[in-house]
Amino acid sequence: MSKIARSRSIGSATWRAVSSQPLIPAGLVLIALFGVIEPNFASGSNALNIATQASVLLIAATAMTFVILTAGIDLSVGAMIFLAGALVTSTWLQSLPPALALVLVALCCAVLGGLNGLGVAVVGVPAMIVTLATLQIFRGLGGHITGQRSVIVDDDLRFMGRGDVAGIPLPFVVAIAVILFGTFVLRRTVFGRFVQAIGSNQPAAMNAGLPVKRVLIGVYAFAGLLVGIAAMVQVGRLGAVQPTLGSGFELTVITAVVLGGTSLTGGRGSVIGTMIGALILAIVENGLVLIGASAYIFDIVRGAVLLSALLLSGIPQQLLRRLRADSSSTPQSART
Amino acid sequence: MKLKFKASFAALGAMAVILTGCSTATPASTTDTSDGGITIGVSFEHLNEIRSAELAGIKDAAKKNGDKVVFVSADDDAQKQASQIQDLIQTQKVDALIVIAFNKDQITSSIALAKANNVPFLTIDRATTDQENISFQITGDPVADGKLVAEQMIAADKDLKVLQLIGGLTDQNAVGRRDGFVAGLKGQTAVSIVADVPTDWDPTKALDGTSNALEKNPDINAIYVPSDYLLPSVLSALDAAGKLKPVGDPDHVFIVTIDGDPVGCQALADKTIDADIATLVGDFGTQAVEAARALSAGETVDPHIVEIAGLAINQGNFSDEKANVWGCADVK
Repeated sequence: MSKIARSRSIGSATWRAVSSQPLIPAGLVLIALFGVIEPNFASGSNALNIATQASVLLIAATAMTFVILTAGIDLSVGAMIFLAGALVTSTWLQSLPPALALVLVALCCAVLGGLNGLGVAVVGVPAMIVTLATLQIFRGLGGHITGQRSVIVDDDLRFMGRGDVAGIPLPFVVAIAVILFGTFVLRRTVFGRFVQAIGSNQPAAMNAGLPVKRVLIGVYAFAGLLVGIAAMVQVGRLGAVQPTLGSGFELTVITAVVLGGTSLTGGRGSVIGTMIGALILAIVENGLVLIGASAYIFDIVRGAVLLSALLLSGIPQQLLRRLRADSSSTPQSART
Repeated sequence: MKLKFKASFAALGAMAVILTGCSTATPASTTDTSDGGITIGVSFEHLNEIRSAELAGIKDAAKKNGDKVVFVSADDDAQKQASQIQDLIQTQKVDALIVIAFNKDQITSSIALAKANNVPFLTIDRATTDQENISFQITGDPVADGKLVAEQMIAADKDLKVLQLIGGLTDQNAVGRRDGFVAGLKGQTAVSIVADVPTDWDPTKALDGTSNALEKNPDINAIYVPSDYLLPSVLSALDAAGKLKPVGDPDHVFIVTIDGDPVGCQALADKTIDADIATLVGDFGTQAVEAARALSAGETVDPHIVEIAGLAINQGNFSDEKANVWGCADVK
């Protein structure tokens, strides 16, 4: 292969990667910008810092990606994290071996997620209404269990939020495992294809004989399980369960998913896109502190950066569409 | 299909029963009845550790006088709080109201409603925007508390590079605590603020913000935590950075916090933090109930705006003062 052909091939592969994940350039611009302003930002230890801080969002956003792909929504994510944390602190669970206690809490979250799914799939209530109701129920139950007090979590139960594997923070290892598993399920399993088919056109999926109700219940239960894992990591990191734990977190999760290119109308999106969206949110939070941004302009900068990232991510898509349009309108003779 | 429905609802019911069985809490809406005395409606924006202590202070004071307390919690919803207060005034016919407003501006309509119905409107802990029409107000003094934090750090008598966490920038308590701290550091050079991190009172933001600030400024050797509520997050961040050392260790990070809740008290007892500015919440309840009785009897209360600075407890006076702090009762 000639040098020119090789460079064209590399350029083409790069272009394909960028166009399939248009948020990558935006993320790179952000990293460069923060890195220039604050050299510490580009350090290895800060990269691990960002990875740790993004972990809970990465796990919960993977869960939400599945839900949104079915054209649904789960507003109960933050409240479920609080309830899971509250359960961890309950006397009965604290008497069990830590690993067993955490598994039970995660399974409990899967059941709670399944109940969301039952409401959506069997009863037929819109996902927003069902999960809005369960948000209140979960938060109320969590408050009931903790007595609305700050409850310190035993060290034994914090292992998911601390420690490392070969120098990589354990929360990030868990998050990467969840992302890989989520990607596998979505791309390589029949269940994953059903999820996308249902999100694209639910009536058509039903007519085609797909088990729509079972898949929807499964999606919400799977999301609940992942949210339970996210809760274990979060509680492990914080070391305490407080009444506002997870409050409003669902909006951050939805932002990460949408930023990652998943369509709110369902059927289109990817776990990898969500991962990039979540990492960008974590980078913004970290970068703003490191560059010493004024506390008063935090929200403004955060919003502006997110808007810029979305606009930047739209540019490659538009370029791609224009190039495709140009090439389709170019005479055959000119192309040969 | 019917079986599926039944199974679904049975599962939901079973889950609710199981989860409810885990509870150790008290309900968020209660009525304490006593013979004689007045009926006091108490409306809080939410119920947490410090609010529970404030409610207990009100109930204790009311019980001594034979007053009745009707309590409601608004779950951080301004509209819900307005409706609850309307219900207390017009349906429950309370003789006085003691309120902690979720929103200091939106509570104005409730103040007007109380005034129109000749029901004394008292606020505790948080000031309202309308200071003209409230009958009585008792709060902490956030600026004074911030200054007390500065005093504790200056008294350490060493060079301190401080990470200052800030609560919510729209919260007068948070802003006052920050302003008081900054004012208290003026005129000296040993203690300097090297990083500010806004938290919106969110423990996760406090954890991540502290980690980020420690990454940028590894020489931070003091942290001002504006509430014990954020303390576990700060301690977790220090632990993750390998900087959580007990008081007395040469690498100890000097920590001062505010509230005096059980978490802060325990941290003081464990020699994890250096000082805590305890809010005297018991006094809020006692003075508010006394004022409510006087006002409902047609008397005037002067002054009608009261601010109480916190009590500084530190490693030096902890054993002497812990009996005076609401959160230290169960600390060993």
